[in-house]
Amino acid sequence: MDARMLPAATTPPHQPIRTQQLHHLHPPQPLQPPHPPRRPGLGSWWQRAPGAVLSVAGLAALLLAVQVGAMPVAASDWWAWADDGPASGGAYVLWELRLPRALLAAAVGAALGLAGALAQGLFRNPLADPGLLGVTSGAVCAAALVLTVFAAAAATLPPAWRMWVLPAAAFSGALTVCLGLDRLARWLTPGSVSGLLLTGLALNALAMAVVGLCTYLATDDQLRSLSFWTLGSVAGASWTVVSVLAAAVAAALWQGRQLAQALNALALGEAAAAHVGVDVKALRWRLIVTVALLCGLAVAWCGLIGFIGLMAPHLVRGASGADQRRVLPLAAAAGAVLLLLADTAARTVAIPAEVPVGIFTALIGAPMFLALLRGMARRNGGHA
Amino acid sequence: MKQALQLPLPLPTSSTLQPLLALHEATTRVPGREFGPFSLTLNAGERVAILGPSGAGKSTLLRLLAGESLAHGGQVLWRGEPLGALSARMLARQRAVLPQQHGVAFGLPVELVVALGRLSFEPDPGQSAIVAEALLAACASHLTGRRFDTLSGGEQARAQLARVMAQLWQARGGLLLVDEPLAALDPGLQLALLDALADFTRERSLALVAVLHDINHALAGFDRLWLVQNGQVIADLPAGRAALPALEALFGIELRCVELAPGRIAVLAQRARSGKTAAQAGTQARAQPLSA
Repeated sequence: MDARMLPAATTPPHQPIRTQQLHHLHPPQPLQPPHPPRRPGLGSWWQRAPGAVLSVAGLAALLLAVQVGAMPVAASDWWAWADDGPASGGAYVLWELRLPRALLAAAVGAALGLAGALAQGLFRNPLADPGLLGVTSGAVCAAALVLTVFAAAAATLPPAWRMWVLPAAAFSGALTVCLGLDRLARWLTPGSVSGLLLTGLALNALAMAVVGLCTYLATDDQLRSLSFWTLGSVAGASWTVVSVLAAAVAAALWQGRQLAQALNALALGEAAAAHVGVDVKALRWRLIVTVALLCGLAVAWCGLIGFIGLMAPHLVRGASGADQRRVLPLAAAAGAVLLLLADTAARTVAIPAEVPVGIFTALIGAPMFLALLRGMARRNGGHA
Repeated sequence: MKQALQLPLPLPTSSTLQPLLALHEATTRVPGREFGPFSLTLNAGERVAILGPSGAGKSTLLRLLAGESLAHGGQVLWRGEPLGALSARMLARQRAVLPQQHGVAFGLPVELVVALGRLSFEPDPGQSAIVAEALLAACASHLTGRRFDTLSGGEQARAQLARVMAQLWQARGGLLLVDEPLAALDPGLQLALLDALADFTRERSLALVAVLHDINHALAGFDRLWLVQNGQVIADLPAGRAALPALEALFGIELRCVELAPGRIAVLAQRARSGKTAAQAGTQARAQPLSA
């Protein structure tokens, strides 16, 4: 009621009003789990330095992916890029087939892992995988429509643009589902986790029904490219695709860095996040667009690859805690390693034939989803 | 417009003229129910307890004050400005809200939950000291290093209290809104935290609005009482002996008064013998036992 009542902005910073003796308090160690495991080995390294473990694993997986296959790659082939003229044999396999493919697998894995972590932060739920919620199905649905129903319209575009038609369609499909999910789940079942997942289930079914309809209408040629989308594969790699995806992942990681602390605040609930100063509406928009971009690009070039967005953040949270500032980059790295390994297995398990990698990720991911569900149920029951 | 430009550094005169928070005929709705119209003013440094039976609309009134639910009619003004027009960040530096339910997704560590209170400020090296002091002030230092989702209800309440304290640690003349901060705590901690809240707000000249269940807590630490019934504020009284008849009518109980010290009273609740008190006040309060 007098001049003492001034707003916070006028008081000098770094000046707590009541100073108390704090020396008996341990300095805060937010990122350490309360009981670090004692046993030596990979598990304990994973707990202590997940970033280092993922870097080493990523390099090893990359080397493995490049070396393993029907055609052997010699050390001299690594220097072949400096030679003039068309490469042949091992050098061609290395530089035109395996390396772009391995890097595409890593980039797509990173995109999916990051999209999963962002979607889980957005929907405040560790089960909110863009694949399960129908976001990637929405992208496939839009791509399938462009391939079949609107194939004639797409063919009239100038050739230089045609490469971007599918990514643009997939992005808009993913964005539509993401926005629809956000609005529908709030309107139908406000605040309910199961309501969100069930809304996603319905949108997933709807999108896949449209894909089914497109299959029904498709010609033989179109059918072949459609089955590529529904199974998921990184076989269509090229250096252009790799660089576009890598740029998108880098941009999304930079976004994630800006949004990480606001995402942490969102875990308190939307109202509480707003009260600590987060512009929740703007945050949701940026998250939705980023998730849709990552999913759309991944689907446009590699089709439906499920469960990476679920597995990667889950693995990372187990090691480094739930702080999004660490989860976001580590989830991208874990996704890259996971998909790289899965693709190498898919490519080599039945040489010379090739199993679509989407089948592999689903084989590992579905049991993991069930394990995650059990862990959540136990926690809610108050046992864990 | 002119006022908006002055906002970061209001003149002392303008802050004495403008109440900190004012409701003018504000109404709000939840599906199937209408609340208000409320016309209330809160001055800087005032401490108000909101009391009323369950379902009367206490939390709804607090959400209206916090800007969580928008006014369907009327206005909610923060220092003379419509609450909805202010940025979340500017508001967060002067006003904190402790919600009734505090689920935190993903099991964040306790220190991070508390540090999120500092989100609207520029990062600075003093932050971890503020977090530690806020944890100490909320009797929650021992929770350092634990995951929020492994805490008990009372521990979660303390960690969240530490979060709002960290948020207003350097604020002067702001506002703290709390919704049943003491509900899940044992009696010793209730008194300790009530004192902590009182000290915290008094040292910073913060206004405090709290939804409470316990009449004694309201009489001990607050200047005014807003009594809520059927979605209306039926009385705006100074806290003290004079408020007891209205409280008896509100809850349909009889209150026996004990003088602890000069000017400090506590009450003992009993079931109303005949509903006489409710009839006297002309309200339709149902007799219901006061939960301990």
